Amino acid sequence: MHSGALNTNQIMRQVIYALALGIIASYYFFGWGIVFQIVLGVATAIVVESAFLRIRKLPIKPAISDGSAVLSAILLAISIPSIAPWWIVVVGVSFAIVFGKQLYGGLGNNPFNPAMLGYAFLLISYPLQMTTWASEFLSFSQGFDVFFNLSSIDGLSGATRLDDVKTQLSLGYLVHELQIYSISQSLISIGFLLGGLYLIARGIIFWHIPVAFMLGILTTSILLFISDSQLYVPPQFHLISGGTMLGAFFIATDPVSASTTPKGRLVYGFLIGVLIVVIRVFGGYPDSVAFAVLLMNMTVPLIDTYTQPKVFGR
Amino acid sequence: MPNQLGFDGGVVIPNPYPVEKVEIIQAPLPNQVVLPLQQRVGDQAIPCVKVGDRVLTGQEIATTKDSFCVPVHASVSGTVIAINEQVIPHKSGIKSTCITIESDGKDEWVKNPGCGPDFLHCDTSTMIEYIRISGIVGLGGAGFPTHTKVARAQDCHTLIINGTECEPGVMCDDALMQYYPREVIRGVEILLHICGASRAIIAVENDKQEAFNSLLMYNHNERISIVHIPTKYTSGAEKLLIKALLGVEVPSGGFAPDLGVVCQNVATTKAIFDAVVESKPLVSRIVTVTGSGVEKPNNFEVRLGSSFDHVIAMSQPNKRSHDIRMGGMMMGVDVKDGKVPICKITNGIFVNDQSKSPVVQECIRCGACNQVCPVSLLPQQLYWYAKSENTDKAMDYNLADCIECRCCDYVCPSHIPLAEYFSFAKALHRKTTDDQYRTDIARERFEFREYRLERNKQERTEMMAAKKEELKKKMANDKAQKDKVAAAMARVKKSKKASDDA
Repeated sequence: MHSGALNTNQIMRQVIYALALGIIASYYFFGWGIVFQIVLGVATAIVVESAFLRIRKLPIKPAISDGSAVLSAILLAISIPSIAPWWIVVVGVSFAIVFGKQLYGGLGNNPFNPAMLGYAFLLISYPLQMTTWASEFLSFSQGFDVFFNLSSIDGLSGATRLDDVKTQLSLGYLVHELQIYSISQSLISIGFLLGGLYLIARGIIFWHIPVAFMLGILTTSILLFISDSQLYVPPQFHLISGGTMLGAFFIATDPVSASTTPKGRLVYGFLIGVLIVVIRVFGGYPDSVAFAVLLMNMTVPLIDTYTQPKVFGR
Repeated sequence: MPNQLGFDGGVVIPNPYPVEKVEIIQAPLPNQVVLPLQQRVGDQAIPCVKVGDRVLTGQEIATTKDSFCVPVHASVSGTVIAINEQVIPHKSGIKSTCITIESDGKDEWVKNPGCGPDFLHCDTSTMIEYIRISGIVGLGGAGFPTHTKVARAQDCHTLIINGTECEPGVMCDDALMQYYPREVIRGVEILLHICGASRAIIAVENDKQEAFNSLLMYNHNERISIVHIPTKYTSGAEKLLIKALLGVEVPSGGFAPDLGVVCQNVATTKAIFDAVVESKPLVSRIVTVTGSGVEKPNNFEVRLGSSFDHVIAMSQPNKRSHDIRMGGMMMGVDVKDGKVPICKITNGIFVNDQSKSPVVQECIRCGACNQVCPVSLLPQQLYWYAKSENTDKAMDYNLADCIECRCCDYVCPSHIPLAEYFSFAKALHRKTTDDQYRTDIARERFEFREYRLERNKQERTEMMAAKKEELKKKMANDKAQKDKVAAAMARVKKSKKASDDA
């Protein structure tokens, strides 16, 4: 007796399929790097999760086939720079699976988003590798060489636009003097946006978190922009830059670590949006989706407690 | 989303085994009937026949004084062949005392009292008594004694007749409304007369157009209205139906009569008509037989106490092995086999090919369950606390309001049997609060004993002190006396010495 709607494994698969557009856009602009990251990330996730399940004396096949480890690995692999050396993704995914998920008891029991925990760990530990991004399309062999440290990344790399703008502003440039938009970044963002809309249409994620997330970003960035349009970038820049779209539809909506009440999802999403802009503008790191999500993960039990729906007859 | 006729949550489930035409097929008289004495609530009825007695159809064979219990009637004429423990249709497969009657095939009826067609001349208490002696209970599945329910609903303004039959697959009420509309309407009139309610609303789901039409055709009473409500599972739950029809919520822990409303199932209404007007006690009911294991799902009017197999055989079961379930596919209970007897609450029998149940996975807190919960609970949170047996926290999240409708199970992508966890957590909570109560009592008793001992001790010390004081005083007194004596003695001695000296 069941509704015949998607089961948990199918939900995970659908989310993975919905990522495809953004990944293809990223490949189109920056080449093979992202492919290597994903392949090695997924392989690492499967090996590490299997090993850990064996240590825990639990059946391996059902846990691997639920697709949650693979999804975490892909999310982390596309969040890190495509030209990061191979061991970055291996270390990050291992950390995400072991410390982000299995040590808490596996799927459904982790308070933090595993992929973002892995990302934060990498960003703090290896800031250089984590902030050097590809600046042009890398062929298969170029990508291969870079991935396995066989050739230098000089001339192929640079900072992201988000990073760049932040640096320029801190050097005293005004917003109108800067080139703030980037075609590649915008198109990749649109790819993730379309994937996210597909998930909402399929009823796999609820609209609450993405909408509140963007409202949070817009509200905060508009207030800043109104206060000084030469010191603070326009709100739309925050929407299309960095990990905003990926974060809104794929990261913050991870049901396990997100708030689970309808009202709570709005609060949770909105505050992530606020934190993203605050950390981007005033914090030390160029992008902040991971930190914003992790901070809000911590508040979920509190949000859930205070946003319970009115029960029938009470 | 709330609307005028509706409630939040619930799920739309199409009839999994639709039929071309809803019919009522008369099942043949069974060779024997098994009638359990324990009904849904209340005491067990006490047999008033002996093995070997000849009984007539409709004759009272077990009686009771408990107002939560009703008498049991012979559903065929014949001979009592056993009064013993037999398996009854229950989740746990328990045994209970039953009276077994072997049919003589003649179906001879006993004559019972009744009001006849001019029932308006009967007074209320007589009618309630006829309902009681006819053994009528809620036929929708709850099995609550009807005479007690109506007796307690004397000040109600609205009577709701539940013809929603929201359990997918079950269609016995649909058939009843189609084939007995006159009896249903007359039954409602009797109920209006008894309760003194100003109006009655018969609620029918909008996928039962024929039933709706036939009721409409026979209804000439302006106090009775027949309304369509959207087809959605759990609309038949009493409190949700009241919300859907009247827009008010029965307070948590409260009952419909608190709002001046009383609900009755349509089949119960017809049984009331049979009892009050036709003088016929409740000896048969309409049962839906459906499921993947039968070729011809349909409704059967069958004598109470017939075995499940008796009607299953009429709907062309296939040769495979089956799981048998009583009630609906959502809220019904699995029974051991088809040998158990049909009782008053058996509205449906599901005969399903045995299948493997899907693998249960971890909860990913997707929230599909809280979208469909008709009472707006958060099953994903309740599950977390029920699983860890943290019943206090589960009660904080209003576990007690769960109606165990299983909408959450139905949509759970991880196939978690949530409602089972909740029913377990409720039982656990009852037990722990019961244990807690006992510990509290014991502790109070202990503390009182300690207090008493302490008090006794103190009283004793006080008493001792007082005695000591008294003794001291006395001794002091004694001393003064002694001194006086000594002084006197000394004087005497002195004077004696003086006289001696002289």
